[in-house]
This record gives sequence, C-alpha cells and structure tokens, in this order.
Amino acid sequence: MRTALLITAKDLRQRLRDRSIIVFAVIAPLGLAVIFSMLLRGATSFHADYVVVDLDGGSLATTFTEQVLGGLKDSGVATIETRATEADARQAVEVANAEGWKADAAFVIPIGFSEAIAAGQPTSIAILGAKDAGLGTEIARSVAARFADGVASVQLAVLTVGDLRGTPPAGADMAAIVAAAQQPAIALVDTGADLRQLSWATFFSSAMAVLFLFFAVQSGMLSLFEERRQGTLARMLAGPIRPGTILAGKAFGSFVTGVASLVVLIVATTVLLGADWGPPPGVALIVVSAVISAIGITTLVTSFMKTADGAGAANSAVAMTLGILGGTFSPTAQAPEAMQALSLVTPHAWFLRGLAEMQGGGTIADALPAVGVLLATGLVTGAIGFARARRLVAPR
Amino acid sequence: MSEEAQARVVLAARDLRKRYGTIEAVRGVSLEIHEGETYGLLGPNGAGKTTTISMICGLLARDGGEVHLDGAPIDVGAVAAKAGIGYVPQELAIYPDLTAKENLVFFGRLYGLAGARLKTRIGEVLALIGLTERANDRTDTYSGGMQRRLNIGIGLLHQPRLLLLDEPTVGVDPQSRNAILESIAKLGKQGMAILYTTHYMEEAERLCDRVGIIDAGEIRAEGTQRELVAMVGEQDTVRLTVTGDVPGAAADVAKVRGVVRADAKDNTIEILVADARQVLPRLIDAAEVRADVKGVDVVEPDLEAVFLHLTGRALRDAAE
Repeated sequence: MRTALLITAKDLRQRLRDRSIIVFAVIAPLGLAVIFSMLLRGATSFHADYVVVDLDGGSLATTFTEQVLGGLKDSGVATIETRATEADARQAVEVANAEGWKADAAFVIPIGFSEAIAAGQPTSIAILGAKDAGLGTEIARSVAARFADGVASVQLAVLTVGDLRGTPPAGADMAAIVAAAQQPAIALVDTGADLRQLSWATFFSSAMAVLFLFFAVQSGMLSLFEERRQGTLARMLAGPIRPGTILAGKAFGSFVTGVASLVVLIVATTVLLGADWGPPPGVALIVVSAVISAIGITTLVTSFMKTADGAGAANSAVAMTLGILGGTFSPTAQAPEAMQALSLVTPHAWFLRGLAEMQGGGTIADALPAVGVLLATGLVTGAIGFARARRLVAPR
Repeated sequence: MSEEAQARVVLAARDLRKRYGTIEAVRGVSLEIHEGETYGLLGPNGAGKTTTISMICGLLARDGGEVHLDGAPIDVGAVAAKAGIGYVPQELAIYPDLTAKENLVFFGRLYGLAGARLKTRIGEVLALIGLTERANDRTDTYSGGMQRRLNIGIGLLHQPRLLLLDEPTVGVDPQSRNAILESIAKLGKQGMAILYTTHYMEEAERLCDRVGIIDAGEIRAEGTQRELVAMVGEQDTVRLTVTGDVPGAAADVAKVRGVVRADAKDNTIEILVADARQVLPRLIDAAEVRADVKGVDVVEPDLEAVFLHLTGRALRDAAE
C-alpha cells in the first residue's frame, strides 16, 4: 500500500507539472459549462418590446390591448408601448429612438375592429415585425392568432345562441364574453421548486464535469505506456515491487485526479454560475461512484490497446460517444424515447439522473439507484480491465 | 580480492536459457560473482548480454536455469529478494519531468529508504555522480552524459548487494564515460558485487576482475584477463592495411607458417600469429602477391585477440 501511494504521489506531481491535465480536468469543462449556461440563460429569459396602435378604440380592441397585451406586460414577458398611428408604429420597429430603444413588433388594430367582431364579420390585427427580431415577431403573431382563435369560437357560439334566442349579445356583453374566451380552460401551475430536474447552469456544469472526467482519469493507465517507453516501468519491476502494486498506484492516482477535478468544478460552478448540485453528502456519493465508473471503463478500454496513442484515441472516442449518448450536450428528456432508453447504458446519464433525483426535495436515498449503477459499472469493467491490464506490467 | 570475499558468492546463475520463437537467445549461461568482485560480460550486440541480465534481475521470465542472490532464489515473482539488486538498464530509465533529487527520492523510497538515511544516501550519490549542483533541475535539461550518470546513481542509491550495469556507457561522450568508469571502480572497491555488460574491450579490461566472453547466447570463456589472454598463448595480432585483392591476400597470408588465422575486413587483414616479429616479413611478402601493403600494426595479446581466437571475428566487427 505504501509503495502504491508512493507511485500515486509521483504521478500526481508529474500531472501537475504537465498542465494538460489541468486543462482537461478543470479549465475545459468549466469553460464549456460557462459558455453553455450563458447561451441557454439568454434563451430561457425571453423578453420582447412591442408597440400597439389602437385605431378602433372599441371595447373589443380594449380587451386585446388591456387584457391580452396587458397580461404579457404584467408577467414581464414584454414591454408594451402605445402609438397613435400605424406610421408611428412602423417607425418604432424600424428605427431605434434616441435612447436606443426599438420595438420587436407592433400590433395595429384597424378601425371598425370591434364592430366587425360583434357583427360576426371578418377583421384582422396587423403585425409589423422588426427585421432582426424573428422570435419576438413570431411570438407577437402567436399572441394575435390565439386572440383570433378565441374570437372565432365566440362568434360561433354567439351565432348559435342568436339562432336559438333571436337576440345575440352585443356591446359590453360581447366584450365580456370575448375576454372570458381568452382565459385558458386549464391553468398550468409552476411547480419549479418541486421538479426533480437540473437548472441549465447545474445541468451543463455537471454534464461537462462528467464528460471531461473520462479524459481526466485516463491519464493514470495511459502513463503505463509512457513508463514503459522511458524504461522506468522496467526499473520499478526490477525492484521489490509487485506488478499489481504499480497498477494500484496508477488507479489511485486516477481516482484522486477524478475526485479533485469534480470537487474543483463543483465549487467553481456553484460560485461562478450559481449551480445547485444538491445535498453535499449525496453529491459526494455520486462523485465517488462516477469516478470509479470512469476508471473502470477507461482501464478496460486501455487494456485492449498496445500503444499510448492508440489507448488515448480509443478512450477519447469512447468518452465522447458515451457523453453524447448520455445526454451531456442536451438533456435526454428532449430526445426520442429510444435514445432515452439507450442513454441508460452510459454512466453519464446515471450521473446526471442521480444529481437530478436530489433536486426539488429529493434525498440521498433517491440518488442511490444511480449510485448503485455507477458503482456496478465501475467494479465490473474495472475488474475485467485490471485483470487484462496486468499484461502491461507483467515481466515477459 | 581476499580469500574471504572469494568464498562469499553474491550471485549464482546456473544454466540460464531463453528462447524467442525459434531463436535461442541465451543457451545455458552460468556465472558466479563474489562480494567485491566486478564481473564483465563482454560480447557484441545481440550476444545475449541484456537477456541474461534481465533474467538475473527477474525482469524476464526464463525458460530454464536458476538465479540465487545471497542464496535466495530470484525470479519474476520475487519481491523482497530483489531489494538486494541495483539495476542500471542500457537505455535511460529516469523521469525527465522530475529533478534528479526527485528521481532519487522516488526510487530510494521504492527500495525502502526513508528519512535521514534517504537524505544521506541522496547526498552521497549526487556527489559520486557529480550532480550535486544540478540536483534540483529537471533532468530533461541535462546533457546525455549527466542523464547517464543519474541513471547509474539511481541503481546504486540503496547500496545493493549486486549492481547490474547493462552497457552504461553506450552513447556517452569520452569525458562522461571516464567519470562513469571511475565511479564504478570505486563501488567495486567498496565491496559491491558488480555485473557489467559491455562490448567495449577496454572497459572490461579496465574495470573487471573477471570477464566472461559471450557470443551467440553462450559464454565461450571465463576468467581473469591474464587467464583469458593465456588461452591465446603467445599469439599476437597483426593488422595489415592493404589495397587490392584483400580476400585473396588474406588467403595467401593464412598459408604462412605460424599463422593461426587471417581474416579480411574492408581494407585490413587481421592475423593471429604465434610470433609476430619473426613472421612479419613473410606476412608482408605473402600479402603483396595480390595487394599493396600500406600499413602494419602489431598488437600485444588482449581480450580482443581472445574474442578473435574464440569466435573467428573481431569484437568491434561483431558489435557492428
């Protein structure tokens, strides 16, 4: 054991001097997590600037501007400003004002809008979209379309009631009906805090961490090839040391490297990105089991190779394939069911699942299945890998 | 070497055999090395020196034979007994990204040294190999000779009973080579048993108490330099530098009375002869029938002559 730790200490000293391990274990995953989180943070906090021109002034036009657009404003999704004429609205979406403000789209409600709806006649809301605000314009179009759908159904109902009673509702009654039609029949309740899913920042932090973990831990077994090339392996084997001790030293070096890499990333992403990894004891369990899993798989892959270059290439290919399958670049929940099922053959998916299970009130117990799968994967592949890897250090 | 030291056998290797496919690399090599004795294994490249030394230190599984260090058997599975061996491989075996001191600390601890003893030994070894001033520099900044010296220093750090040196001066500049040979000579005087493989005759002559001449996996002769030279008798080596029909001239020279053998190589004829001074005129006459003699060199009997006598080849030619 003392000799194995001696080899571990020597390996760690070499890896710290060879800064490539710091790049793979810390800088690359942290950098990518920051980039992905910032990109996705922009996509999930949508905000649009709209202007509205009410040329009608009727009750139904007011329903649209106050209830529909007002709802967007109240929820913080959009800023709504009014303009007097269509020309003013067009200018607002085409040219920025003195403060640099420019609308993403404009709603233009034509004269006679309310009367046409009340009479069951066709009418329209014009959408003027800015050239550089495709998403804002699409959302404006969707908002108007949903209002139009509501109006159409109300018109159908009103005509039906009119046929039955002979006096269809009009004026304020009609406006109240149209407003009521804008209310969704089924309300969605945001249960964010209770959902067992990772925030974008946490997802990409953990995904990049587990992806690069497989690069970080492979250096231990790969160094066997380097030791053999530079003659130091033979020198060790000529001394009072068992081949298995050398393998143990290498494996423990990989373990320390993997755990250190994840701990640094957990702390850094928590501080820099606000990632919430979950309860520390549970995270520690997941981290340790993931590192064991990664060491097992990389040892198995390395044991089939004959050169350091070959082993490095094979391990990289396996790490990337498992990473993509395991949903480290996009959550598997967004993938087809077959891919979701396939992802479960990867430690990456179980690592992310284990962390997600501890979100939203989840406990360590919820993460235990993932821990079990990760440990089993590591122990099985590691046992085969180390048995095979003995040939790399055995006297010939 | 005292009689007491003679009696204490440190290394006993008997009937070592190793085969690679159809090639029998080592064929029944046996040797003994006593305490304080430096034993040279002299032979050309491919003679089986490295294979023999690898089997002795348990790096290579042998097909036959046995090795004992101070009476304890050594094989690939041995652990504790290997602590008594210091191994200096032919190729450099140091960590280039560590300093000399870090290399020594690592390998010293591997052999069980620690604390003050480790520190003392590192200081002594650094002084012996002349690297005290550069001890804290990374070894990839060293010259080839300095790296070679460190390579040796690691092997003797733990003061092994047996030091195995596998051609430690290959590729070393003359100055560093001289320093290395001086260091090894000191170790022998301190009582360490040393097995030194080389294809440089002059190194074997300078360092070794006894020499085993190895060729094609077999030890062809063994003894002190005096004993080996005696095998050649009073024979001298004459080298004629010639131009013209060199093989033809060599054949003519071989017919001269007193010539044991004559071998042509490029533009020289290497002749083993009983009494060079007396026969020399007739050798030149015989050679000049088919060639022009441009130079004559008479060499006193040495290990080169022994090798030539035993194998029919010059050591330096066989080493190429």
